[in-house]
This record gives sequence, C-alpha cells and structure tokens, in this order.
Amino acid sequence: MNAIYIMILKLINIILKLFGKHGGNIIGKIAIKLNKNMLEYFKINCPVIAVTATNGKTSTNNCIAYTLETAGNKVISNKEGNNMETGILSTLIKNSTITGKIKADYITFEVDESYVPKIFKTIRLDTLVILDFFRDQLDRNGEVETLILKINEFLKTYTGNLVLNADDPNVARLGKANENNKNIYYYRVQKYEYATQNMKEAGEGKFCPFCKTRLEYEYYQYSHIGKFHCPKCSYGENQIYKEAQNVDLKERSFDVEGITYKIQDNSIYTIYNYVAVLSVMSLYHIPTEDVVNAFSKFALKNGRLEAIKVNNIPTIINLAKNPTGANVSLRLLKEDEEEKELLFVLNDNIADGFDVSWIWDINFDKLLENKVTRIITAGTRPYDIAIRIKTSGYNSKQIIPCESLETAVQELYKTKTKKYVIANYTALQPTRQAIFKLER
Amino acid sequence: MQELKILYLYPDMLELYGDYGNIQVLKYRMEQRNISCKIDQYSINDEAPDFSSYDIVFAGGGADNEQSILADDLVKYKDNIKKAVQNGVFFLLICGAYQLFGKYYKGVEGNIIPGLEVFPYYTEAIADRKKRCIGNIVLEVELQNGKKTQVIGFENHGGQTFEGMAPFGKVLFGNGNSFGDTHEGFFIGNVIATYLHGPLLSKNPEVADYIIKYCLERKYKENIELQSLDDEFENKCREQLLKKLLK
Repeated sequence: MNAIYIMILKLINIILKLFGKHGGNIIGKIAIKLNKNMLEYFKINCPVIAVTATNGKTSTNNCIAYTLETAGNKVISNKEGNNMETGILSTLIKNSTITGKIKADYITFEVDESYVPKIFKTIRLDTLVILDFFRDQLDRNGEVETLILKINEFLKTYTGNLVLNADDPNVARLGKANENNKNIYYYRVQKYEYATQNMKEAGEGKFCPFCKTRLEYEYYQYSHIGKFHCPKCSYGENQIYKEAQNVDLKERSFDVEGITYKIQDNSIYTIYNYVAVLSVMSLYHIPTEDVVNAFSKFALKNGRLEAIKVNNIPTIINLAKNPTGANVSLRLLKEDEEEKELLFVLNDNIADGFDVSWIWDINFDKLLENKVTRIITAGTRPYDIAIRIKTSGYNSKQIIPCESLETAVQELYKTKTKKYVIANYTALQPTRQAIFKLER
Repeated sequence: MQELKILYLYPDMLELYGDYGNIQVLKYRMEQRNISCKIDQYSINDEAPDFSSYDIVFAGGGADNEQSILADDLVKYKDNIKKAVQNGVFFLLICGAYQLFGKYYKGVEGNIIPGLEVFPYYTEAIADRKKRCIGNIVLEVELQNGKKTQVIGFENHGGQTFEGMAPFGKVLFGNGNSFGDTHEGFFIGNVIATYLHGPLLSKNPEVADYIIKYCLERKYKENIELQSLDDEFENKCREQLLKKLLK
C-alpha cells in the first residue's frame, strides 16, 4: 500500500512542479493523512545528520549539505527549511524509490526543536548538532526550558554523535543527558573583538541547570553565548573538540587548528555555526581542503545575511524572528563604521507569534552614535517598532512608520545611503520581493 | 529639577516578556518633560532595599523556574513592602509579580506557593498545562474621575486569579483574570497589578502619565499638570489595534 501512496505523492509533486509550485510540505501533509506512520517506510543506509537550534538551523544545514557536496557526495536535504515532520516526509518522498529506498551518501536535515524526539524515534540518527537555545515566540512555543527538557529526554537513550555549542549553557548541558554516550563533541569560538564583560542583550540560562547557582562569565560574545562556568559544581568545563581562534570580521576569516578559513559573511554568530559544520566534517573525515573551499564560497541567498545591491546601493537583509536574531543584526550594523539606514519590518501573523513584546528585548541603544541616519518601519505592526525605537532615545523625527511595505521600500531607497533590512519570519520574503521589484 | 526614583525588582529574573519596557517608557516620558528618573535595581543577594524610599516599585513576569527561586527571597520583605503600599508608593506589577503579591499560588499538583499577602486575590494553576490565556487583550479602565480609557496589551498566563475585588479594568476583548472573565487585574490608586504585557505602558501613554502624575503630586504635594508629548506613534498604534480587535 505504501508503494502506491509514494507513487501518488510523487505524481502530485510532479504536478505541483508543473504549476511552478515548490511543494514545501504539502506532500508530507497528505502522506501523514494517508498513513501516520509513513516515516517508518523508508530504508535509509547512509548517515543521517540533523541540526536543531532556535537560530541558525537553515544556514547551518545548508552549509553542511554544501560542504559534503563540495567533497563529491550525493546529499539529500530539506534545504528550503521545511523542518517539521511534514517537511522531512516531503523531502524523503521526493528522493526515494517507490519501495522507499533512499540513494544518497548523506542525508542532512534541519529539524524544528520540538520535533527532534518524534522524528528520530523512527529514523536512525547518526549525528545531532545543537547550536543554541534562545527565547523565541513565547506565545507559540512556551518557555525555552520546556523545549530543552524535551530534547534532554530524547538524548537519555541516544548514543550517536552529539555536536554541541560549549559556549551556550542551554546547549552544553545536554552533553550530560546520557552518561553512557561517549560521542559528545563540543565546539566553541575564542573571545572576539566585540565580546563584552556584561550581557548586552536578553539571554537565557543565567543559572546552572544542575545546582541552580548563578553562572559566571569570563566574557559574552553575544546574548548569553560566551565563556561561562558554574562556581559551585564546575559545570562548563568541557573537553573541546574544535575551537575557532583569531576571528577577524574585517577579513572574514577564522582559524581552527592552524588552518585559516575564509567565509562570505562577517558575524560572530555565523562563525559559531561554521565551527559546528567543521566539527561534523571532521567526524566524517571530509578532507580539509574541501571544507576550506566550500566555506569560502558558501552563501545562502534567502535573506539570511544576504548582501545585495539595489540600484547600486549596498543592502544587507537579515531575518530576525526573535530578540537574539535582531540583536546580532544590530551588532553587525553597529560594527559597520559607514553611514546607514535601517528598515525594520515587523509582522504579527500566526507563524510570527501574535505577541510583539519581544521587540523590547532588542538592544536599540546608540543607533544615532552608530551613524544610523534614518529608520523606516513597516509590516503589520509598524508603530509598535517605531515606539520601541523612539523610546530607546533615537530621534522620533528620523523614524518613518509605513503601513504599506511598498511605500516603505520606496521611501527607503529615496537616498543613496547603505541599507540594513531586518524582517521577522513572515515579513522576510515579502520584503525581499518588494526590494527586488524596485530594482526592475 | 523634579526627580522620581524607581526600584526595579529582580531585573535578571523577571524579564521574560519585555516588561522592562515599562520602565523605559516611564523614563522616556519623564525625561521628555525634564523630570529626572533614577532607576535602582534589586536582585537576590543584593543589599535589602527600603521600599518606602522609592516613588515607584516595578516587577515583571518571569520563567517558572526563576519565579520559584525568587519567591523565597521576596517573602523576606513582606512587612517592608506592605508599609510602602500603605505609604502610597506606586506599585506596577505585571504577570508573575501580580500573582506573587496575592495570597497564594496553587500549582497543578495542589501545592501552595505562599504569596506576599499584600493584596486579597489568589491564583490557581489550570490542571491542563497546555491551556493558557494567550492573546491580545483590550480593557476599559477608569483611571480617575470617571474618565474611561481603553488599555491594550497582550496576555499569556496559565494561572487564574480570583477575588481581586478591585479590578484594573473591564474586559472588552480577550480573557482577563481567568478564561472568559469580565474583568482583569487589580487596581487601587497607587497599585496597578495586571497580566498585560506589550509592554503595558508602551501602548497606553495615558496609564504611564497617570503613574507619573500620581508620583509627582505625592512627592511634591502640589497639583501637577503634565506637559503633553508627541504621541503620534502611540496614537496610530492604538488606532490600528483597536480597529482590528474591537471591530
């Protein structure tokens, strides 16, 4: 029966393609309706690598796939970011034979944090990469702690590779979920130029998850990511598998074990993600020259730190669906010494969460000092973000809220000044389209 | 120069929903009028504060874990806090802090977490952990002299609060103190305790100005007429939301 289902679903996929539709997770949705245990049907004989996190899943998963491909492997991956059960199913159906066989050297998935236990109860997972946990859409997801405990429960019986960010106390704790798992690999990044002594942006995990003592930090890289340890139970002292040194944002490079890696972007949080990818590549013995080569070319053109020129005006577009996402974007803007203008697009659709109070956890301080000459706000909640920025001390006369995205983009490009665009989840693609339309 | 002093309780623990924005709004609206705003913070292990020496005491909402850690600490100041309330210090308490100032919080398993017992209400968790009052909310509030105003915010709470006796407002849209309630929050002249995030004061400048005016008049013992500010963004924000929510 399943073979017939797969055949039908593949056909639907072809039809969707003919009509120019991407499919996304539609066929996965139908598949679950036909057989709720459809995931069990697939015969996978290659390593499955998964990435989960609050921020950075799509970029990191794509980078893993790209690097493996650069090394000559056939990779199947949910590159578009459909990361729930239906998205994973869609990817498998599109790439399987009718009998459910998957022919690939590697499968790499990004997986929504809350779906990790469900999906990998069925599919055998070889390597799990966990990047970070931040507060994210509280009205939809609840507290971060609940999510972490869910993944911790899954890890209690998991014995595959676990690649963890040693500088995130919410992530590093998961290395202790299963004492019998010897395959724990921690990565970290050495102190970078703009690291601070105090937390500059809202963060989680201020207390030791094991003994509830307040954690001490040697420095913060961004949000609650940094070198921490528990003064009471010594949580935080982990053996490091891969460590990035000499982070140079101007040169866009960092070193690991004496080898310099050049990359396309220049933010501290993506460097963390690159070191995670590098750890995975090392576990699968991918030649270093392939990794160096892949990193130097990898760029995701989907609004994740996307650098473009619009009518010859340099523009950087970045997704920010939670305070940390917005804060790292603003960090980039503050680290950039040129004059610039900002467009902030804030939606409150169901996928964004209806609650926009998270914008008050964004650090908008010193925008004037950092040469932001004008700010346009748009989206379904343009005034909320305008009020937020005004209250931070930025001159309200230099803030222009627009109820229409088209008007906002036209207003933005009236000047030749460099642009930074920050958009939340459902705002990102419409904003990109409005910008691209302008250029034509 | 006039000055108001704010005590911000547990800034590193009660900080989940951007409630700190309330203090930023107060500070902003004071400084625009040349009123100096001094903010002191208190958290666990800090020196005991004298609540009565402040004009405003503020506390927000936090994660369950953090909230249970600090409840034990806060109880130490019960008498000090009661005295400050009686002295007329203004208390702005959001969400978790609203609950903590009541009689008690009864957890899902029936366990009782004692509150400060400053106010008469109590809170009970709902048995189904997945059920919460979540969404935009609009209240009709009478701040003073029979003048009614609409207050906009966002609620996200599992706890159901009962017997507040003096609600902050009548619910026009959303849930309120419990599922489908007619009223929300707790309000006596110098105390606003409510579930409303948003942050509350960011979309309700009238409430912010009520607090500032109250505190100045109390401190300087004279009638204060607050200079009006440019609230263009706030007004448009309210207009847009009220149109959407109360259609």
